Amino acid sequence: MTQEAQHDTQSALTPEVRAMIGVAGEVVESWGYVDEEYLRRFTQAVMDPDPRYWDKDFAEGTRFGGVIAPPIMVSYMVSRHRPDQEDPITRAFQENPESDGIGSVERPGALPPVPTDLVRVLNAGNELEIYQYPNIGDKIYFQNRYSDIRERSGRDGRAFLIITVETSYKNQNDALLCITRQSSIRR
Amino acid sequence: MSVKLEALLQMAPGEILAHNERPTGEQLRHKKQTYFEDVAVGDELPKYIYSPTPTHLFRWSAAIENFHRIHYDLDFGLNHDRNPSLLVHGSWKQSVVPQYLKDWTLPGGWPWKARFEHRAMLVPGDVLIMWGTVTGKQEKGGMGLVDLEIGMKTQDGIESMPGAATVVLPLRDGPPIPYPFVPPQD
Repeated sequence: MTQEAQHDTQSALTPEVRAMIGVAGEVVESWGYVDEEYLRRFTQAVMDPDPRYWDKDFAEGTRFGGVIAPPIMVSYMVSRHRPDQEDPITRAFQENPESDGIGSVERPGALPPVPTDLVRVLNAGNELEIYQYPNIGDKIYFQNRYSDIRERSGRDGRAFLIITVETSYKNQNDALLCITRQSSIRR
Repeated sequence: MSVKLEALLQMAPGEILAHNERPTGEQLRHKKQTYFEDVAVGDELPKYIYSPTPTHLFRWSAAIENFHRIHYDLDFGLNHDRNPSLLVHGSWKQSVVPQYLKDWTLPGGWPWKARFEHRAMLVPGDVLIMWGTVTGKQEKGGMGLVDLEIGMKTQDGIESMPGAATVVLPLRDGPPIPYPFVPPQD
């Protein structure tokens, strides 16, 4: 168990770190749009046979009024590599033949790093809020934001940070589709 | 009759698979509404049971364009990252969550929100049980809010994704849940 950082430990929540709370990245337009083929591949891969995702006639008779897509599906559109940019995978392996396939790959909309000497990163949890289903033809816009940074102390008394990045996903009408939050521990 | 989670965990992996309650497309098409009044604290949701193979993992990597080699390059996983095998994606697990909540609340409810942590390394050959239990319920703003404990356990009872969720079920004589969803005000 962790507890609130004690006053006698060296604080990791410096004014510079605290200043990152609320810092947002640019609003990024994902490459492409919500299309039937991506929807088919995604729902088959997650193993969801819901006809609301593929049967137009049935979907039009539901309260959603047409074919819908899982909101979380659009969260993976943000990491697409744009075809007008250098192939990041080829570059990653040129730079490091032992690349893990993602380590050197740049992502659009990334936030500036939190200025801390704590470098070890552990996943602390995820949150998901859903407000509206994407529809076929939707463009997806997303924005990252440091929504929270907290300090805790471990059993050894050392302070560590819990950093939460919130990502909001909207469509071309500025309608909020869903929000994801990922918290990571920095030790 | 749905088998309780505790009873499932006493079974051999092959027997667990026989109790999968993932709905077919036709069952989802004709899904009858579960109303707020129908559920009670302690109720268990249907169990979605999976047995991912390397091919399932590859299909997921390709679908979401996740190129992390630990999911499809066994030699890299074993000898570079010292993993026990290929690893099941956390992104796949967390994508099952909204599906699970959607299915339970269809056709007129709403899978509002969930939180969870990723624990344990899952590998091909594991039998995975997506489960949920009702932990609380309250009526608010004409909606039925239902709190759930959720998770994804292995055949050995190891919890790989402890979490919680709040979904919205319509009241039997209440108004429809708004779409797009608007949370009830405090």
